[in-house]
Amino acid sequence: MLATIRSATLLGVEGRPIFVEVHLSDASLPGFQMVGLPDEVCRGAYARARAAVLSSRLVWPNVRITVNLAPSDQRKVGSALDLPIALGVLVAAEVIPPAAVDGLAFVGELGLDGSLRPVAGIAPLVAALRPVTPVVPVASAREAHGVVGEAMRVASSLHELVGILVGGEPWPRIPDDVWDVEEPVVPDLSDVRGQAAARAGLEIAAAGGHHLLLVGPPGSGKTMLAQRLPGLLPALDAETSLEATMVHSAAGVRLPSGGLVRHAPFRAPHHSSSMVSLVGGGNTFMRPGEASLAHGGVLFLDEMGEFAPQALDALRQPLEEGAIRVARARAHTTLPARFLLIGATNPCPCGGGAPGSCECDEGARQRYLRRLSGPLLDRFDLRVGVHRPTVDELVSPGGGEPTAAVRHRVLAARALAVGRSGMLNAQIPAADLDTLAPVDTGAAALLRAQLEADLLTGRGYHRVRRVARTVADLAGAEVVGEEHVAAALQLRVRLGVSRRAA
Amino acid sequence: MTALVDATCAAALTELEGLGSARLCALLDRASPSEAWASLEGRHPGATPDALARMGQRCEASGIGVVWRGSPTYPAVLALDPRPPAVLFVRGDLSLLAGRRVGVVGTRNATASGRHAAGELGRRLALAGVHVVSGLARGIDGCVHRGVVGTAGEGRPIGVVASGLDTPYPRQNAGLWEEVAATGLLLSEYAPGAEPLTYHFPARNRIVAALSEVVVVVESRAKGGSLITVNEAVERGVPVMAVPGATVNRAADGTNLLLRDGATPVLDADDVLDALSIDHGRDITRRVDLRTRPSAVDLPTYRRIVESPATLDMLVVSDGRSLAEVAMSVARLEMAGWVAGVDGWWETIGDTLR
Repeated sequence: MLATIRSATLLGVEGRPIFVEVHLSDASLPGFQMVGLPDEVCRGAYARARAAVLSSRLVWPNVRITVNLAPSDQRKVGSALDLPIALGVLVAAEVIPPAAVDGLAFVGELGLDGSLRPVAGIAPLVAALRPVTPVVPVASAREAHGVVGEAMRVASSLHELVGILVGGEPWPRIPDDVWDVEEPVVPDLSDVRGQAAARAGLEIAAAGGHHLLLVGPPGSGKTMLAQRLPGLLPALDAETSLEATMVHSAAGVRLPSGGLVRHAPFRAPHHSSSMVSLVGGGNTFMRPGEASLAHGGVLFLDEMGEFAPQALDALRQPLEEGAIRVARARAHTTLPARFLLIGATNPCPCGGGAPGSCECDEGARQRYLRRLSGPLLDRFDLRVGVHRPTVDELVSPGGGEPTAAVRHRVLAARALAVGRSGMLNAQIPAADLDTLAPVDTGAAALLRAQLEADLLTGRGYHRVRRVARTVADLAGAEVVGEEHVAAALQLRVRLGVSRRAA
Repeated sequence: MTALVDATCAAALTELEGLGSARLCALLDRASPSEAWASLEGRHPGATPDALARMGQRCEASGIGVVWRGSPTYPAVLALDPRPPAVLFVRGDLSLLAGRRVGVVGTRNATASGRHAAGELGRRLALAGVHVVSGLARGIDGCVHRGVVGTAGEGRPIGVVASGLDTPYPRQNAGLWEEVAATGLLLSEYAPGAEPLTYHFPARNRIVAALSEVVVVVESRAKGGSLITVNEAVERGVPVMAVPGATVNRAADGTNLLLRDGATPVLDADDVLDALSIDHGRDITRRVDLRTRPSAVDLPTYRRIVESPATLDMLVVSDGRSLAEVAMSVARLEMAGWVAGVDGWWETIGDTLR
């Protein structure tokens, strides 16, 4: 008359193992009660489980049914508990022997016809259940496989599952397509004509982990360029890959075949995005936001000035710590969010262009630049001017250098940087710049002259030195030379009014 | 004693509703400020002893002087103006208005070359002993006065502003504002504390035109505020001159139109001095370009920027060299003062290397 089934629920990007306890009592009137903080979706499990059991030509016990989701002080979210609840009822009603569900854990949503449907967050759920063998809907096999490999079982319907657990039928094979690893199709850099500065910006951003701001009028190809950055980044390391997989799974984003996020993701939220959709949180299980979905990859903010200021402000924590801590009254969780930030903006409301062609009135221009400035603008090591390609560039034969060639240099430079200091150049602390990024006399003189002429601020100085380190790494140079510093300076466009001439 | 009371009354009169510059002129042509005030006290809701006392304190606290139509210090150049200011608030040296004066105005959204031309014009005029009248706005106005205060020449800056003299606008020119008051002359038609309202600016422009012997427009859009100053100048028979700009430069559309309409072109300060019939032949500051000449390596890059403003991408394409090499050239040209960059575009500043 009592049954306990293992399952798990989701909080942020973490799974939490839980027990579904079912008690049947004919001492009181027939009915159904569920306790243990189920949310609205979870509460619907009764209707779905009952219909699924009846559709599978089984009997729903006509007694008092009490379901407890333990530990009972934790929120339970979503429909993943449909299956364990239905099985718990069947075990308690002695349809399924308790020994059959021993050592197994169950997650999955039930259709009214008894079919087993995928749910979001399978990866973190099965990760939390280890070492217990999870039983997952067949459509979720790919996600579960990325985390636990073959140590799982799949099923496509309640009917089938009961046949296995009661009748001793064999478990169905895990579908083959989960093993294939398909290479993602990323747009290639050879499609880009001209844009020497922006290409250099992408290459340096990828090699040094420098955040990049693209400044240019509409139609100059800022989005096109940003989309090509993930192709330059190395495949994710094992740890990041698993973290990214958890995030994508928890957010219900389709995972690539193989079940693991192996390549740098690219996320481009629209500028109307709310703060919660960017950094996560919000409802009871704290869905990860775009910043977390970009973990290990690229977060692209087009029209950066149009984002709500508080949404942009909220990105400061992940930019500093590589993670977002979301706290609510009942629970708190940490969402991973280490990404390369690419911003894109017009230089002014009208889009600008050659000097003197801007037609914005002064007030509007100042307001626009003010929205951009502030704490976030300081995080960009690279500010690259993007311009509409000239006719010469457009009709020139042949494309630019392909992604593969650039990526080769990027990987070499990253290896150099990590071998030297154990980190990417963007992370070098200011105090270590002299030992890790020494400059030769020509470079020192150029930096000094820039500072004296007030063309460079103190903060900008450190950023330029980090970028120059990456430029030197890409060229394979030990010491940062004048040409590397000059290139770094050119990739830090001054916005608004030229200081010297003002 | 009477003069002091008159000054305070004149200042307070400007704050009364319904009493614009024209009416106030008519009033002050018939009565002294203290008489006018006495006649209004009790009859005009704003004319209270309180208001008078406050105005007195305010002017005194900020060191602001007052001249009015009929006062002995009222500038002679304005006496016969078609629409003279009835009352002027003053900081600095009023005697500058007896010297040679050139108005220099232009757009707020100026290009680097326009800013440079304005600064250079201010510097050269100041060295030639000519005072420069301008509006202390952003862009050209600020640049020309920075050029003036940066020299040891006899020419001084004369600023005519559209807000109270203790209310600097724009804020970024607040420092310059103080410098102009300290070394030159700062004028306003508006009482201390007055905000820079939209309709103040055209009125301010008319005073700039009225105080100038020649008005020079450095850069102006096709429908710029500088053209109001030009119209005021034309109405007063003040010659208008303009600095030509490239036809692709939208910021120079207005000045180029002026040239087509017959304004005298200004290539450098000598042209303005000619118009003032000042002999510039003995100018000892004449043209020694102190900038280091671009090396042979940097010259192609410089020539390309001379042709028209260019982005780094364009320079790389036209040069055929690597980004790093072009970046080096641009950095050297910038440090030497040949080019300046903003929003990713590079343009030349100063005299073009021939």
